[in-house]
Amino acid sequence: MIPLEAYLVVGALLFAIGTYGALVRRNAVVVFMCVELMLNSVNLTLVSFADYLPGAMGAGAGYAILIIAVAAAEVAVGLAIVLAVFRARRTVNVDEINLMKR
Amino acid sequence: MEAPLITADTLVALIPEILALAFIAVVLLTEVFGSRSPNLSSGLAALGALALAGSATVLLAAGFEGSFFGDGYVVDGFALLFKILVGLVAFFSVLAAARWSARTGDTGEYMSLILAVALGASLLVSGRDLFVIFVSLELATIPSYAMVAFDRRRRESSEGGMKYLLTGVVASSVLLYGLVLIYGVTGSANLSEVAAAFTADLSPAALLGLVLFLSGVAFKLSVVPFHFWTPDAYQGAPTNAAAFLSVAPKMATFALLLRVLIEGMPETAQAYTWLFALLAILSMFAGNLFALRQTNLKRMLAYSSVAHSGYILAAFAALTGPALETAVQAVIVYAVAYAVMNLGAFFVVELVGEEGKSFNGLFRTQPALAVSMAVFMAALVGIPPLSGFWGKAWVIFATAQAGAWVVVGAVIINSVLSVPYYFGVIRSMFFEEPAGVGPVKDGSGALRFSIYAMAVFTVLFAFILGPLVLLAQAIGL
Repeated sequence: MIPLEAYLVVGALLFAIGTYGALVRRNAVVVFMCVELMLNSVNLTLVSFADYLPGAMGAGAGYAILIIAVAAAEVAVGLAIVLAVFRARRTVNVDEINLMKR
Repeated sequence: MEAPLITADTLVALIPEILALAFIAVVLLTEVFGSRSPNLSSGLAALGALALAGSATVLLAAGFEGSFFGDGYVVDGFALLFKILVGLVAFFSVLAAARWSARTGDTGEYMSLILAVALGASLLVSGRDLFVIFVSLELATIPSYAMVAFDRRRRESSEGGMKYLLTGVVASSVLLYGLVLIYGVTGSANLSEVAAAFTADLSPAALLGLVLFLSGVAFKLSVVPFHFWTPDAYQGAPTNAAAFLSVAPKMATFALLLRVLIEGMPETAQAYTWLFALLAILSMFAGNLFALRQTNLKRMLAYSSVAHSGYILAAFAALTGPALETAVQAVIVYAVAYAVMNLGAFFVVELVGEEGKSFNGLFRTQPALAVSMAVFMAALVGIPPLSGFWGKAWVIFATAQAGAWVVVGAVIINSVLSVPYYFGVIRSMFFEEPAGVGPVKDGSGALRFSIYAMAVFTVLFAFILGPLVLLAQAIGL
């Protein structure tokens, strides 16, 4: 049987890759994909905890479904805003979007 | 046999939220099927916010208490007080937003977003289950991205919205990872069972979970070092959205943080008061020092809100031993004081304009408005007997009682540090030559009503203070 730690390490690695991408990539849509990676790594961690923990009784899987729904809502609003920016500026590169002064 | 999950009491406990949700649906449906009348939509939304605050008041007066959904959702005096506050803030924000949103032609959509944020904030203060907390926090956050990006006529708006969004979703994921680690370490999502595993001495996984959770919360509260999104988001946002978002969700998040720390990890909170002290001091200094250089009023108020988050967080440095009760009171008093003065200041900016120049000579063209703004600015500095003074006084009581003299010193130094930029606005209103005839008066009745109501609350805060502190003592946490 695969130990719990293996799942947790994979989850942590995926989360780290997603965070790195979200901080480094300049295209807003790619940043969004990285955030999806982060959320899914959290889901993996959550589901493996739920499966291994005594007394969790599968509640973790229910929580994972909540998280998937929230992530979908986030993406719906997020892509709408990215689209609004694209219509106004013809770019979604976060470096070129700097109207307001620092 | 197990007790049924939903009883009549559950429905009573959820009345404020059910009403808010019903009004969101009604506002949206009238927009779709009825006339697209801006006044009708904003009127319904104002009614919805009042229904939220009113039903929570009735529940509080009736002494209703209990926990529901397997102890995941708790209704107590503390939660009800914050539901009332969120409802009232939403009410005044709806009034202030009415004129602007009528011009966009999408009043119903905008108003339902305000109510959705209020609904999320109102659920948030009741959360005792880690995932209830996460979902309601997101319900308060996701509509706020849309609110910031709502103004299609200004490119800054969608730009501010996108910056807020991209940083916000990363922060939410980090917060969620923290919650899942806490869940994994304790084996339960319920705060009462979390408390058993969170002692002063944490395992590495628990510490990582706590740090990630606190980072996500710090982002929502725009506490340094997670404040960088605040100026761009508030400057880009419609001014009334910045007003609402700088108050309602933050109040609720502070309430959530209090509940998590006191119910979920009391020993850990005591061991880590130095961390809150450090974050509070950094936020105060960074907020005030950056605000000094701003010429755009919205940007200045954004940095000022970073500083004020720092003042409230300073009370968290006193969450130990005998000072705990005073610290909880300080958070409540400061949250109310900050709500009235900050909403007022943003509302005046909504009416007059965001460039510093537009305030020149306002006293000659519109004296009542200029005096109100002067009151808000003086209150934000902390001049007695205005609201901000009492907030700071309570924070200082609490931190002094806990013996955190460094924090007391930082609060006082920062109050002095913030004088120049707040008083710069007062100076330009009273001593500069007016550039034009001042802001237009058409259709600004509701907005002006909100401004003057906030000014009255700010000036007469001393009279609200007594009952508020008594209430805070009675409900405890």
